[in-house]
Amino acid sequence: MAQINPDFGKVLKEYGALDFNACYNCGNCTAVCSLSDEENSFPRKMIRLSVLGLEDELESSVDPWLCYYCGECSSTCPQETDPGELMMTLRRYLTSKYDWTGLASKLYTSKVWEFGTIILLAAVILVLFIFFHGPMTTQLTADGGVKLNTFAPWKQIEIGDWIMAALLAFFLLSNIFNMYLKIVRSKKDIKIPFSLYFTELWALILHFFTQKQFSKCDTELTGKKYTLSTYWIIHLFLMTSYVIMLIMIMVFLPWFQTDNIYEWWHPQRLLGYYATIGLTVGIVYFIIERIKKTSEKSKHSHVTDWTFLVLLFLTTISGILVHFFRIYGLPYATYYMYVFHLMALFPMLMIEVPFSKWSHLAYRPFAIYFNNLLLAAVGSKK
Amino acid sequence: MRNRIGVYICYCGSNISDYVDCEKVKDIAAETTDVILSKTTMFACSDSAQNEMIEDIKNQKLDAIVVASCSPKLHLNTFRNVAQRAGLNQYNYVQVNIREQCSWAHSNTPPQATEKAIKLVKAGIARAKQSQELTPMAIPSTNSVLVVGAGVAGMRAAIELAKMGTEVFIIEREYFVGGRAAQWNELFTTNETGREVVSRLYNTIMEANNITLFTGADIDSKTGSVGNFDVKLRIRPRHVKPDCKLDWGKFKKAVEVCPVEFDDPFNFGLTKQKAIYKNFPSEFPEIPTIDVEHCTKCGKCVDICDKIDLDQKEEMLNINVGAVLLTTGSSPYEPKTGEFGYKEIENVVTLQQLKRLIELNEYDLIFKGKKIKNIAYVYCVGSRQVDGENKYCSRYCCTSAIHTAIMVKEKYKTINNFHFTRGIRTYGKQEALYHKASKQGDIFLQSFEDSPTEVYKENGHTVVKIKDILTADKELEVNTDLVVLVTGMIPRKNDSINNILKVPIGRDKFYNEIHPKLRPVETVIDGVLIAGACQAPLNITESVKSSLSAAVKVNSLISKGKIELEPTLAQIDKLLCNWCDKCADVCPYSAIVKEVKNGKMFAVVHEANCKGCGMCLPVCPSNAIQLIGYTDIEIESMIEALID
Repeated sequence: MAQINPDFGKVLKEYGALDFNACYNCGNCTAVCSLSDEENSFPRKMIRLSVLGLEDELESSVDPWLCYYCGECSSTCPQETDPGELMMTLRRYLTSKYDWTGLASKLYTSKVWEFGTIILLAAVILVLFIFFHGPMTTQLTADGGVKLNTFAPWKQIEIGDWIMAALLAFFLLSNIFNMYLKIVRSKKDIKIPFSLYFTELWALILHFFTQKQFSKCDTELTGKKYTLSTYWIIHLFLMTSYVIMLIMIMVFLPWFQTDNIYEWWHPQRLLGYYATIGLTVGIVYFIIERIKKTSEKSKHSHVTDWTFLVLLFLTTISGILVHFFRIYGLPYATYYMYVFHLMALFPMLMIEVPFSKWSHLAYRPFAIYFNNLLLAAVGSKK
Repeated sequence: MRNRIGVYICYCGSNISDYVDCEKVKDIAAETTDVILSKTTMFACSDSAQNEMIEDIKNQKLDAIVVASCSPKLHLNTFRNVAQRAGLNQYNYVQVNIREQCSWAHSNTPPQATEKAIKLVKAGIARAKQSQELTPMAIPSTNSVLVVGAGVAGMRAAIELAKMGTEVFIIEREYFVGGRAAQWNELFTTNETGREVVSRLYNTIMEANNITLFTGADIDSKTGSVGNFDVKLRIRPRHVKPDCKLDWGKFKKAVEVCPVEFDDPFNFGLTKQKAIYKNFPSEFPEIPTIDVEHCTKCGKCVDICDKIDLDQKEEMLNINVGAVLLTTGSSPYEPKTGEFGYKEIENVVTLQQLKRLIELNEYDLIFKGKKIKNIAYVYCVGSRQVDGENKYCSRYCCTSAIHTAIMVKEKYKTINNFHFTRGIRTYGKQEALYHKASKQGDIFLQSFEDSPTEVYKENGHTVVKIKDILTADKELEVNTDLVVLVTGMIPRKNDSINNILKVPIGRDKFYNEIHPKLRPVETVIDGVLIAGACQAPLNITESVKSSLSAAVKVNSLISKGKIELEPTLAQIDKLLCNWCDKCADVCPYSAIVKEVKNGKMFAVVHEANCKGCGMCLPVCPSNAIQLIGYTDIEIESMIEALID
């Protein structure tokens, strides 16, 4: 027996939900959805649970992560309830539910918290540099580059890197574990054989690296099996760029943050260019989409959608500038830009990876993995 | 005896000819004695076929015709007109139904269909031979009408009838006009109040010089028939003189001193009222009244107002009218004790009570001292019953409940509305209200009839539970402060009218019309018409539409000064009749009366009342009754032809 909670709607509206109350349960959204199937039927069910405020059921739902927001439901809905945006809202809501610190919820629902945290984290970097930066030498290296590692030695930066990586991993992994408890372990009547955790692992890897569910959007209407959409390609480009960059600064910092100026074909430069181009193209594309509001998924922008794009944009641009200032031998410009780069990068990663939108990169493939586990355990997996 | 008969066999395109061998039927008909011509035709009802028949009748000097085609319900009048246009008496025309009765009923056995068609046509010819020339009768009519019930439907019809020049008497059983509409504040889709609508109608009635309104009035008895009813009205005393110019302060004082107190029906028992009352300042007629049933005649109010007269007596009044229009309206269904907790759980009320409650509570919605936060609306109470008698949908309740929920939300802001429905039916333009309610955050749940919503007490809370088909049959519950039973409509209790007028009542207890689509406001009692919610659950818009159509129908019936009747009536042979009472007993229209002449008793048919139904024929022990147009000779000749 479940108690209806009509006040839950107000909570969801803080996370960005629109007019989902107007739903009259026709189910057109589910019928038109390319990703919904018999086992996981959405978005109608999610709308219904949201209207009734059945929080326990929502928290244990995997469906919001299986939606890749093609927006067909929103353009089909006769009541203009925007089911697509509700699914997006539920992803925000679930992100804050998986987060045991409660920070995600604050960041999503309060602008003071969101901007306050960004400023605070940026200030931490600024203060650290004011007190601990190395000499700001104007002397250049033999091949004419700035001696960045004198101003900010990679060994010290790497220590900071590791601390940050540990924090990010801790928060993200604990949140994923929480997600596992809510989605998998809450279904007490389903027993999952231990071997399944390994045999189903491929889905996690496959979906993390390909995000191929994006390609299935719209297939219900076009009748094709896959669609090679611009959105998917750009999203993949952006994501791989981001992952390459993350690996380079976290694992290969001494190699990446070098004072050497390599030839243009050197892997350090090629990878850097791939990642920065990917990030720039992606960011610009998504910013234009959100300004133009042409597709359903870019029509509604939550404040956190914008802060994410802006932080990522600032980090990328400042990173590119650091590179060029360094190789063209502009010491002060390099140093100040480097500090600014970290002031954007640090809050961006700390907020977005465990508490906000970057976490979706992890949650989505995990959701498919968890869902496959459950389906395989009850024998209804296709 | 007719001996120059024309027979026409219709193909009805291919409807008939695909299964019935029309040519064979025609040939056999042609061989029958006294048949002068026998033809087949593609469409007997077409203009060219009709003209051909007219030519045939004239040229061949036919004295009767038979058309074997479709049901007489469809084309009896068409071919009667053909006969008339050709100078033949229309009752010398016989229609044989070989479409519904032969080709459609026996489409899997065409030879037998043909065989049956031949027999029916032979019987038709036999009847045509015996057919007589008849003339329709005309009876005089008075251009005046009695409208029963001064609700919105009755008043609207009265105004329209008066405009068309019909003298109108309108009676209201209660002491104030307006019926149910006067009880409602805001009405849906217009946002006007029920009272505004009623005052507008009342003022128009007062301005018209050919409408007479009686309040506190019933029908005492009725004699006569269509065009000429003598109705005796009983007018109960108001106990307040008509020249009373109401002084609201004085009236309030009179109410104060009245020692009698009882449940107020205007507020559905939510409040108490005194024996002297007027429900709201703009209620019409303006003067208050005294409830005689509860008044103890203590005289205290008389001391305050000299216009109060406790000795007023009941009056009787005879009026003569051409027709009676019933607009007696409906009542809300009264749930049984225990039905969804009604009268057993303290915070279960009806939708009508909630509507009154909203008007009585200005700032917060308070019921029995408790501020209401969550309201559960349980739909289809007394409608669409699975086990009960009311199988019908009351039509207005979904919209009314949703409209009320919107009012609740707009007036009290923080209240949550939960709708426990069996599927929302806010048809037509009313759908906009459903949309609005959904948008404002009302929650709609739905169950099937086999798992009804439950209302019960648990740990001091009133809980409403449903197996919600919109959430995969999940059992859901809400703790509520107020449960509102969305009750349907039942007809008003009108036992005395029903006894006097004998209007047919349907299985649903509402008055029955002759034909729901084609004759929706007439009853089988000539001159008695129905309109509004006494006929079926209707909202105000629909009631007014039906009352206007009834007004036109009444006027067209009685305004010409005479009414034409079919001549196919029962006829009693005075010599054979010995007055045994049996025919009068079975007559559903009270058309047979006893007469005494020279010491001999015999039955006489009151022609205006007789519908020619034939019920009296088989019960007559001396075979003294004949039905004109269906005499024994005609019927026997048909039977002979059929068994030949």
